[in-house]
Amino acid sequence: MNYMPGTASLIEDIDMGIKLRTFHFRGRHSATELNPRPEKHLVLLRDGRTLIGFLRSIDQFANLVLHQTVERIHVGKKYGDIPRGIFVVRGENVVLLGEIDLEKESDTPLQQVSIEEILEEQRVEQQTKLEAEKLKVQALKDRGLSIPRADTLDEY
Amino acid sequence: MATLSRKNSNSQALYLPEADNAFSVEDTALEEDCQPTKMKCLEGPHLHQRPGRLCGPMIPKAEEKNKVAEEEDLDPYLVTDPDEEENDLGDPAALDATHYMQSLHYLSPISFQPAFPNTSSPARHFGPQQPLLDSSLFCNSLPSWPSRLSSSAKKTWFQQPDPYANLMTRKEKDWVTKVLMAQLQSKNPHLEDYYYQKYYEKLEKKADEEKHGQRNRVQSPKLVTPYVQKAEAYESVVRIEGSLGQVAVSTCFSPRRAIDAVSHGTQEQDPAAASSQKLRVLCKIERMFLPLLEIEEGQKDGLPQPCPFGQQDNQVEKLFQALKAQEQNNLEEIADSFLQVLSVRKGKTLVARLLPFLLPDQAVSLLLVITQHLPLLIRRDVTDQALHMLFKPLGKYISHLTFHKLLQGLQGLLLLPPGSSENQVTVVLQNQFGISLLYALLSHGEQLVSLDSSLKEPNRDRTAWTDMVVLVAREIARMPTASLAEPLAFPSNLLPLFCCLMDKQLVQKLEARMEGKSQPLIQAQSRICHSLPHFF
Repeated sequence: MNYMPGTASLIEDIDMGIKLRTFHFRGRHSATELNPRPEKHLVLLRDGRTLIGFLRSIDQFANLVLHQTVERIHVGKKYGDIPRGIFVVRGENVVLLGEIDLEKESDTPLQQVSIEEILEEQRVEQQTKLEAEKLKVQALKDRGLSIPRADTLDEY
Repeated sequence: MATLSRKNSNSQALYLPEADNAFSVEDTALEEDCQPTKMKCLEGPHLHQRPGRLCGPMIPKAEEKNKVAEEEDLDPYLVTDPDEEENDLGDPAALDATHYMQSLHYLSPISFQPAFPNTSSPARHFGPQQPLLDSSLFCNSLPSWPSRLSSSAKKTWFQQPDPYANLMTRKEKDWVTKVLMAQLQSKNPHLEDYYYQKYYEKLEKKADEEKHGQRNRVQSPKLVTPYVQKAEAYESVVRIEGSLGQVAVSTCFSPRRAIDAVSHGTQEQDPAAASSQKLRVLCKIERMFLPLLEIEEGQKDGLPQPCPFGQQDNQVEKLFQALKAQEQNNLEEIADSFLQVLSVRKGKTLVARLLPFLLPDQAVSLLLVITQHLPLLIRRDVTDQALHMLFKPLGKYISHLTFHKLLQGLQGLLLLPPGSSENQVTVVLQNQFGISLLYALLSHGEQLVSLDSSLKEPNRDRTAWTDMVVLVAREIARMPTASLAEPLAFPSNLLPLFCCLMDKQLVQKLEARMEGKSQPLIQAQSRICHSLPHFF
């Protein structure tokens, strides 16, 4: 068996994703070879976004073409999906990506909520974080200390 | 936008998949645009879920659904047929009108014509509405990922041909694979891809062990790179005169060569330009390492073949000459350059790895030089603490020493050179490598003495030898146990040797006390000469 490390291994995922797996529907194997399907992938980007979509095409820089993509926002135990359509992702912005096992996808302890709810949750989370940060900075200021912020640091 | 008037949704005309409708979009209001899409998308999930049931005209079904939708307050997910197996869309998932419209508009702001996608003929495009096809299909299939479908629906989903399959043609896939694998090819994978090769060997060995005897051994995947002829001569690194570093040049065919530590390209020939001596020594060590690696490779691969062996001998010889810097006539300078090489940690590893390949004579000469300059080496090794790696390879050659040579070496070590105040032996005994080497040498000397009967009678060599041993023993006795280093190997015949010398010391002390006029040393020596055979 040929071993193709790195980006080359994604080639297989594009059309023959479930070729090796068999589905037992009423005792028969389904003819997945005749209808090649792409693998569903989860892609984590450098800016922290999580995209889930079908991988359609790659190139040698691992630029990805994702089809029927959904951006998934996680807050605590809840998550929400925003449908985004087709994504072309430049390879250098990908942190990691992995296959999603379609059979195991549904049994997750996380709870799916609607988009507004998850956006609301995200906003609330950001707000609490900001407030906590503010309190911390205030407490430090009271004691005469200060944490230099990365953007105001001019030593480097 | 959320509250769409029902009256508007009654405009049935919009649902007809007629081409002219495409161009009427610009006239219609945004809201009207949205609703039909939304309406259409209500259909989508259902259609996709039960494609088997799609037959005949879509439109009447759409209309029917639409009516149902109207009545049910436009909540898309409460619209179900009573005989549907499972309402996977019952959850308030993802398709809220506002966000949805936003994203749809983001996708294809041009037109939102409800040119109804007939899923039984996916290839049909409606001209300028191609983006629409995308969006419609996407909104159709969005909630219909197989994870949320019922098992039969999943089956039909899989059986249905994927309209976007083979977007990437075979040719394109092969091209990408070829480019990526070509980057990985190497002439000597064992050298350039060392860790993967070792890992693969380990895997194979494990597989062999586990399935010993079984036919069907799980073949672990192996990296096989296609052979691609490189276009032009590729120089991986560019050297700038006088600099120790390299400027990397990489192409898309070979990005890896750029990170080689040693330049494979033109060898730099500027020893004169190199300013400091240290730099020269370091460069010399680096230059010697490559042939050493080749020698080791050759030994690993071509042991049964005599022909490369001759070539290997030649290489070893060349390396040895380089080490000894034979072009210099002065003996001191030779030793000096060799010692300089040994002062660097990498030089020590170089010598340690080269020693197994040298001829015995060559190795012995190196051993002697090391022995004679042991205190110096120890002093220079304070930071690295790496001398111990020389012990094992050297130890093998100690047995090749003749008695005379051994004596020479020890004398060079132990007798105080003029002008040096420090006791050499102390320094040696305090260092682990030093004490181990010393013990090994003494042990070998003892063996020689015991085996060779001609050395039994007192001659100059013999006395010198005994002096040496006495000196060492005295030092050992004098030094506190804590400062004595732990030897790497303790030869078994040393203890009897020292035991008898302890006696001698006692004798000496006694004689000193007795204020004997006779020279106690000579007496003791004669006593040793007689008592030694007692132990063997």
